Amino acid sequence: MSAPAGSPHPVASARIPPMFGGAATSGAVAPTDPSLAPHQQNGPAQSQMQVPSGYGLHHQNYIASSGHYSQGPGKMTSLPLDSQCDDYYSGLYAVPTQNVMPPSTANQQAGAQQIYGRGPPAPHLVGSTPGSFQGAASSASHLHTSASQPYSSFVNHYSSPATYSANSSIASQGFPSTCGHYATSAVSNAAYPSVSYPSLPAGDPYGQMFTSPNAPTVRPVKDHPFSGQNTAIGHPLPLPPPPSQQHHQQQSLSGYNTSSWSPSGLPPTNDSLTRNHTGSLSVSATNPTSTDSSSSAVPPNVHLPKSSPVVSTAVSGAPSSRMPPTAHHPVEPVTSVTQPSDLLQQKGVDSSSTTSSASPMPNSYEALEGGSYPDVLSSSASSPAPDPAPEPDPAPVPAPATPQPSKMAKPFGYGYPALQPGYQNATTPLHSGVQPSGSVYSGFQQCPQQYPGVSQLSSSLGGLSLQSSPQPESLRPVNLTQERNILPTAPVWAPVPNLNLDLKKLNCSPDSFRCTLTNIPQTQALLNKAKLPLGLLLHPFRDLTQLPVITSNTIVRCRSCRTYINPFVSFIDQRRWKCNLCYRVNDVPEEFMYNPLTRSYGEPHKRPEVQNSTVEFIASSDYMLRPPQPAVYLFVLDVSHNAVEAGYLTILCQSLLENLDKLPGDSRTRIGFVTFDSTIHFYNLQEGLSQPQMLIVSDIDDVFLPTPDSLLVNLYESKELIRDLLNALPNMFTNTRETHSALGPALQAAFKLMSPTGGRVSVFQTQLPSLGAGLLQSREDPNQRSSTKVVQHLGPATDFYKKLALDCSGQQTAVDLFLLSSQYSDLASLACMSKYSAGCIYYYPSFHCIHNPSQAEKLQKDLKRYLTRKIGFEAVMRIRCTKGLSMHTFHGNFFVRSTDLLSLANINPDAGFAVQLSIEESLTDTSLVCFQTALLYTSSKGERRIRVHTLCLPVVSSLADVYAGVDVQAAICLLANMAVDRSVSSSLSDARDALVNAVVDSLSAYGSTISNFQHSALIAPNSLKLFPLYVLALLKQKAFRTGTSTRLDDRVYAMCQIKSQPLVHLMKMIHPNLYRIDRLTDEGAIHVNDRVVPQPPLQKLSAEKLTREGAFLMDCGSVFYIWIGKGCENNFIEDVLGCPNFASIPQKMTHLPELDTLSSERTRSFITWLRDSRPLSPVLHVVKDESPAKTEFFQHLIEDRTEAAFSYYEFLLHIQQQICK
Amino acid sequence: MVLLTMIARVADGLPLAASMQEDEQSGRDLQQYQSQAKQLFRKLNEQSPTRCTLEAGAMTFHYIIEQGVCYLVLCEAAFPKKLAFAYLEDLHSEFDEQHGKKVPTVSRPYSFIEFDTFIQKTKKLYIDSRARRNLGSINTELQDVQRIMVANIEEVLQRGEALSGSAEIDTLNQKKYSSESPTFNKQHFLSYLG
Repeated sequence: MSAPAGSPHPVASARIPPMFGGAATSGAVAPTDPSLAPHQQNGPAQSQMQVPSGYGLHHQNYIASSGHYSQGPGKMTSLPLDSQCDDYYSGLYAVPTQNVMPPSTANQQAGAQQIYGRGPPAPHLVGSTPGSFQGAASSASHLHTSASQPYSSFVNHYSSPATYSANSSIASQGFPSTCGHYATSAVSNAAYPSVSYPSLPAGDPYGQMFTSPNAPTVRPVKDHPFSGQNTAIGHPLPLPPPPSQQHHQQQSLSGYNTSSWSPSGLPPTNDSLTRNHTGSLSVSATNPTSTDSSSSAVPPNVHLPKSSPVVSTAVSGAPSSRMPPTAHHPVEPVTSVTQPSDLLQQKGVDSSSTTSSASPMPNSYEALEGGSYPDVLSSSASSPAPDPAPEPDPAPVPAPATPQPSKMAKPFGYGYPALQPGYQNATTPLHSGVQPSGSVYSGFQQCPQQYPGVSQLSSSLGGLSLQSSPQPESLRPVNLTQERNILPTAPVWAPVPNLNLDLKKLNCSPDSFRCTLTNIPQTQALLNKAKLPLGLLLHPFRDLTQLPVITSNTIVRCRSCRTYINPFVSFIDQRRWKCNLCYRVNDVPEEFMYNPLTRSYGEPHKRPEVQNSTVEFIASSDYMLRPPQPAVYLFVLDVSHNAVEAGYLTILCQSLLENLDKLPGDSRTRIGFVTFDSTIHFYNLQEGLSQPQMLIVSDIDDVFLPTPDSLLVNLYESKELIRDLLNALPNMFTNTRETHSALGPALQAAFKLMSPTGGRVSVFQTQLPSLGAGLLQSREDPNQRSSTKVVQHLGPATDFYKKLALDCSGQQTAVDLFLLSSQYSDLASLACMSKYSAGCIYYYPSFHCIHNPSQAEKLQKDLKRYLTRKIGFEAVMRIRCTKGLSMHTFHGNFFVRSTDLLSLANINPDAGFAVQLSIEESLTDTSLVCFQTALLYTSSKGERRIRVHTLCLPVVSSLADVYAGVDVQAAICLLANMAVDRSVSSSLSDARDALVNAVVDSLSAYGSTISNFQHSALIAPNSLKLFPLYVLALLKQKAFRTGTSTRLDDRVYAMCQIKSQPLVHLMKMIHPNLYRIDRLTDEGAIHVNDRVVPQPPLQKLSAEKLTREGAFLMDCGSVFYIWIGKGCENNFIEDVLGCPNFASIPQKMTHLPELDTLSSERTRSFITWLRDSRPLSPVLHVVKDESPAKTEFFQHLIEDRTEAAFSYYEFLLHIQQQICK
Repeated sequence: MVLLTMIARVADGLPLAASMQEDEQSGRDLQQYQSQAKQLFRKLNEQSPTRCTLEAGAMTFHYIIEQGVCYLVLCEAAFPKKLAFAYLEDLHSEFDEQHGKKVPTVSRPYSFIEFDTFIQKTKKLYIDSRARRNLGSINTELQDVQRIMVANIEEVLQRGEALSGSAEIDTLNQKKYSSESPTFNKQHFLSYLG
């Protein structure tokens, strides 16, 4: 089981979070790149042209994957490829010197990049704007991390032949990443490409494809705003307002979290790096060219070797075009040195940032979920350790050699399409003998084999027909200002990734796993150019009706990156499979050869693990640090005067009594209660007592447990006592005069109670805690509620609750908060107890069990779900992705224990997560990327299980394809998460600006890609047409709105929801669905369980749609509103509401009567259907036109103008104006 | 003081039940002992002695093997040996009655984790010195407790062939092993957490 210590973990390296996280975000937010304009001519048509060539490369390798683009290029390329491959290999492996070369190039490229990012933009000072680096740094890091050079070089060969043959002008196509650059630079394409190629083939150790291209260009034209990465500054074209400003904002947006989540593993390893780093940092910023002597003494050596490889490639490819590049080359060397510094910097950053994530339980859980082998972990695996060695000094020959091997692994990806015909090809190990001598890395040996395989593949793939689609619907340009009805009449579904049929069928459901871009850009540069956010939206523990559960002695995982075997791996032969994330070839264990489903032997690819992208494994005891814990539930209840007055206890106790037998658990389930006001009350429920015993601890400064056991008791053995207590509780405190609340000490007591086992603490609080540790003061100024300027106090007032949450998390305890208050209770501070312990937060403003029946009903419904829903204990979640991609910022409620391991004391089916991604290495040599989420948890029955989701997406090389694949809902949810972080770390107005900029940037970036770009029109691709609308909706959402009176707690709660809700729920919260329901027909109705469910069309959220004669249903996710127009027909009112006329409809109506009329049946059936689709049963409000409650309803009509905010049309004009600036 | 109780199948070392470690308040880290216990389970075989005491520093493991199931307890070294064995016998009789027949068929670890409830109750009985007096049987039945084999846990784990009784240990090697054993154990532990 154990991997050789010190073996490089490709995965690990891939995962290295860019500390800054800037890359992904900056892409999203960053101001548009005006430089793109030249590109326009290419337009969609051209881009397609390009595509083929790009695809060609892949496609030789991947049959299935590349999907629609057909064309011959594949074939054309394939021939040359073979030869090249050979050359390449021989060069790399056989000749040591060649290896050396790569490093040098890398450096050069890096340097160039820096220039872009940093050089021109003098404004960015290192100290002042950390963000500015991020872009560059992250990109740089990509290179570094995984020693990708081999690929890149490899790729080059491929691409080059293809490109040249196809059309010289598009030379860049081969390199998706590069092409952008070329286009931008005014300089002739031909010249650049040539330059870039040489460098690439050299196979820089750093592996960045895209960078190299930039470098050449940059030199000549210093001003070029090249890569999207740092964009704002460099841009020659005038962008939206102050580009630099935006830039900062955006970056910070992306950036802030990152620091906290950095990998813990890093610090030790990278220390040395850091040092270099800092030194180089300053230097590099000022003048990239000059320096870094410290980091790279080697470069000179490198150079020489470089040229040689270049030559070889050139020959095979298009000699003529290539030659020029070499000429350019000389210039570059100067720059080369700098890049290393970038990389270093990044690392340094990482390490520094790491501190925050110090984990209470060091590596243990990590080891469990198996991020990697434990021993490896400790040494290097978890951190990007493999890299550090090569990076610091590229000079020594041996060092460079090592990194390459690890990279070599990547080429394996060619085998990708699992199960496809291709793999036999991959099998033949032509070069297997060639192992490089010095390599420690296990992955190494395999590399040689691949190459031959690839070439063979290409030939076999060449025959594949890829359908060519002239222009996908998602790319149809939409003139936003002209299109009056932008909202489709049917709900928006997640776009389906453009994969071949087999993969589509196997792919993970978008309900569990979505990506903001269903076509992954090949390089960070391309991503930056698209100005779209890249990230994943997860709903990992969703309630599933069908889930294959696998029990087997061995859970098959990649030996090096620990990826679970999944439908997207490829079987090289009967006995070996290739990991689709790190490309390592693994043995198929004997047990896996038998398929229990078909009872057949020798068909490993038919096993359920390989046939389902969502599976659950029963874990062996290797996945347990301790025996599986029992389900433990502790209720911590506020019983101060305020709480008793609000009357929640009755509802809670009633719900508990009703659901006591439905609490998830086995015979070990334990339960306990703590109540508190100014003192803390415990309840001894020991079996055998005649009645519950109340124990009062009044020393809240030093809380202790009054008795060591019997406070958490076995649910079944003490059930009678528990029932007695629940019956008595609501009346026990009726006459209390105690107004104080010692929440902090009560939580400390809860922690003490829970720490031996872990479990779930449910806290009910009704006011500001006023005594003991964690006491809070009111921070809200009611006069500022509608301020358009500054919204303060979005962050916690004390770190008490966060610390407590981290302690709890360390003991596998999650804290859920139910806040039922009529006044400000500083949710921003209180929420920390749940945020960091993986709990959940419920908020019931102005709760009163009698005066506010709808809130009471909501609490009741929420509790029912809360108490009975599935729960997982002592969980950890890890997300892995294909080498080359890396995750940084995570969103949701959890604690990041190490780089990428999310510690979830509890997991519940209503929890959603988001992750931001960046592309650290170009993905040119793969046509598919995969993401895998593994959630290891203990079920309430004491079973240790692992739920695994795997998502597969195509890689594209053209900007048009990136736009074609946008999942606008996922993008908006990710942006919302980023904006929340931004609001807290910076300011609300920054966050709002960033949101607007996200639209401005992406649309202007798109505008510059279409040929007939008119400045007078606001054009969006069809896939993005709802983007402005959704962003406007976000700006009017409680979390982000300004100018409209919003209570601080309401706002903070909306932010909490954004961070922790799964996408489906979040979308309804952001943009509710509006239906007209007074004329429901069976037209288009669907049948569900023998019921006919009408499907009325969606209406846009505008008062213009609300006719006085109609009745409308608004579905806001957790609330339904039925708005009844004044002139609504009496028929409807009578038949559906059971009232004779409009005037007689009661003010507070929350249920529809069951009437025996057709329209009543239709309406109820529709509403029931909507309700059934979600876990939380929403509360229904019937709102009469002109009733005071209608403001609640009207605030959701986001297309309309309000005093403080734009209408949709005005917003579009505003955007257009920003774009034209 | 009884710190840890585990029940496992001898044939493959599969853990069947265990009692949660209750001792975190006193700051004791049972992790290491738990891993030793897991290793021990993997080393046991049919030739292993059916009653054994293994010293592990300040702690002592006691185990019994009955019907292919091993009952193991970790106590402080000072905890009376006969009490420990009486406790294990109690667990055995109850476990065998409740789950004995299902033992060979299960494949999931901790399939009988719910037995924890019984373990905890029994444990309480033995820890409580007042209740202990009532356990008169232990004095009479377990006279032969003195004859139970005593060994050192680390040596046993080193040995490869666990507790077969026939394995002879080269004294030199033994020394060498014992000096290296801490690291070895750690590595071994880590490696199988995989």
